[in-house]
Parts: sequence; structure tokens; C-alpha cells
Amino acid sequence: MKKIKYWMLMFASCFAAQAVSAQVRPPLSFDINYSVASPLSSLKDYSNKTSFRGWSAGLQYMLNDQLSVGLRTGFQDFYEKVPRAVYPDKLGDVSAVQTRTLRVVPIQATVGWAFTKPDKAIIPYANVGVGVANMDYEKYWGQFVESDNSWQFLVTPEIGINVPFGKASPLMFNANVRYNYSPYKMGDITNYQSLQYSAGLKFHIN
Amino acid sequence: MKRTIYLLSSIAAFAAMMSFSGCSKDPLKDMTPEESRIYITNHDTQANFKSYATFSIVDSVAVLSNRSDTSKKALTDYDKQLIASVTAAMQARGYTLVNKNAKPDLGVALTRIDNSFTNISWNPGYWGGIWDPGYWGYPGGGWYWPSYYVVYQVSERQTAIDLFDLKNPGPNNQITAVWNALWRGTGVWTTSNVSSMVQASFDQSPYLTNK
Repeated sequence: MKKIKYWMLMFASCFAAQAVSAQVRPPLSFDINYSVASPLSSLKDYSNKTSFRGWSAGLQYMLNDQLSVGLRTGFQDFYEKVPRAVYPDKLGDVSAVQTRTLRVVPIQATVGWAFTKPDKAIIPYANVGVGVANMDYEKYWGQFVESDNSWQFLVTPEIGINVPFGKASPLMFNANVRYNYSPYKMGDITNYQSLQYSAGLKFHIN
Repeated sequence: MKRTIYLLSSIAAFAAMMSFSGCSKDPLKDMTPEESRIYITNHDTQANFKSYATFSIVDSVAVLSNRSDTSKKALTDYDKQLIASVTAAMQARGYTLVNKNAKPDLGVALTRIDNSFTNISWNPGYWGGIWDPGYWGYPGGGWYWPSYYVVYQVSERQTAIDLFDLKNPGPNNQITAVWNALWRGTGVWTTSNVSSMVQASFDQSPYLTNK
């Protein structure tokens, strides 16, 4: 009798748990995006070209239907080759073809807020990522490089949309725009600012 | 649950791997030999280049190598081209070529530096007794390098052109360097590049003229 009671209790609590977590899709998701980024401000003075070499990947956990937390990493490569010019310097005048590069690898914690319930066809959201970024700076004078590698604080507000492939589908299309800021100083760069556009997929996994 | 953990850890590993290997463009694979070269020029801001009329140039090129303590003289095809191109460039700037015994105002020395194997500092003025001030008619004198000169870490082949003021020797026959050009990069010792490298060095030195 005790055993039966025990099993009934287990069964009932399972149903209860089921009811509580009767969500549209599992809370944990993985996302991966391709990113394009434009340099802004002093970063643009250093390296003027839009970066088409970038990606972003992260994990998110829905705490409820709208609030989520997560972790994110990624990569963005800024690269500009400047035609031969003479650069006056305290060391003399140097004629060189400069190649100016910066590779950024962020590692951030994220907090997100979805503006609609998860059963909607389009889910707009806002997100903020706070963390660090590895800044790999290499400025080439011809084949000779001045380089520096450091970790810097990086904050990233974001707005975007998630579009599920079906009403309760765990797979969604994601597109977002992020503004990246870091008080990074190196050479001509007085702070790191970029506008990043990403598109990709988000999978909810269980 | 186990499957999720496997999935998550493989994704994390993938992300970590991608982050640090990246998909970045390698500048060294994206440049021609011409683009790899840099030309550095220095000059003595106190020198009055318009006050010089004549110059003399060395008849062979000093070769400094970390493999031996002393320098050697050489006259390869590259060296001949170097002497010819620098002579022509000086003449184009209004200076007249004379023999070193005819008391020239400026002396032009040419050096190839070969430190292909180790990093050593190049000490400007270390000519190993080849072009000592006695060569220019100032026995016992020394070279004077104004403070604007910088010693570069040398780890490859370089070529240097030095101009010395022979008109105004300092105390104790000290001879001042008034202009230096240093070429670094890939193809610096290639004969067919000499004329464009000499041209670039003179083009970035508009003050070097007596016209």
C-alpha cells in the first residue's frame, strides 16, 4: 500500500511538473550567427573598412516566457591595407604600405527581454551583453608588425527578432543589430565602437 | 540529459576553437614583395643642404654580417647598380660628382647589412675600418651620429645609404652624418629593385637638394 501511494505521489508530481513547465519550447537554446560589423569613430580612423569576417555564438536560458540569461562569444576581424605613404615619425620618415588589423573575441554574459510571448510568429527582443573582449591588434609596416594583445571591458546593447519556423518549433531564425563599446586605447584607437549586424539560427534544445 | 551535455560541450569546444583560430585574413599572405618593404630616412635638421656643391661616393659597397667581426668590400652587380643609381639621384638634386681627393663637400657611403641568422642591434657607424674617416681625408677622426638616429633591431637583409658632411668637420676631425636612408623588407638586395628604392628614398627627402 505504501508503495502504491508512493508511486501515485510520484506520478502526480510528474504531472504537476509537466504543467508548470508546459512551455512552447524548452528553455535552453543555442544560437549561431554570421556577423558583419562597421567600425565607428576612432576605430574607423584606424581601419575604415566594414568587416565581413565575423560570427557570434551563444547559449541562452529562458527564466520565464520573456526573461532570459546567457553566455556569448564570437569573432570579428577588422582589416584595412593602406597604399604606400610616407609617415613622419620621431624616428624619421617611414615609407610603408600599412596593413591595419584588429581581431576581437568577446566573451560576455547576456540578459535578454522578449517583447512578446513565445507562441507568437515574430518575437522582437532587446538584450545587453557585458563582459570582456580579447583585442588582438596588429599594425603592419610592410612586413614588419607592431602588435599588442589585451583583454578589455566590452558592453553590447542589442535589439533583434526571433522568427520561429513553426508555431511551437524549437528552431528559429534570428537577426539582430548590436552596438559594441569598449574603452580600448591602442595607437590611433581611442575607444572601440562598432555597429554589428548578424543573422543566423537559434535552436532550443532539451 | 547526457546527450544535451555532449551537445553543449561540443558546441562550446567548437566555439572556443573558432574564436581563437578565427577566420581572419593574414596580411603577410596578402602583400607583394614591393608592399613588404619599408624605406626609412633620417636627416640632421641643422644641416643646410643648399650649402653643399660637390660629393664623392664610395667605389664599392661595405657588407656587414653578423657572421664575422669585420666588414668586407664588395662590388657585385647589385653594388654597381646601387652606386650608379645613388650617383644619378644626387646629380639630379644638383650635386656635382668629384673624386674623393678633390675635397668633396659630401661623402656618400653604401652598406649592405646581412644578419639573416640572429637579431643583433646595428650600431650606426660600425664600418669595421673600411670607410673610416681616414678614407675621406680625416685620419684619426670619428663618426658623429646626431641624436635623431635610432638603432633598429636587425634580423634580415638591409641596405643603408649615408651622407657625411666633409665640408665642416667637427673637433678632432669628427665627421657628421647628415642623411641616412635604410631599406628593409623582401627584395631589398635584388638588383632590379635598386632604382625604384633609391627614387623613393630621395622622393621622401625633398630637403636634400642644393637647387
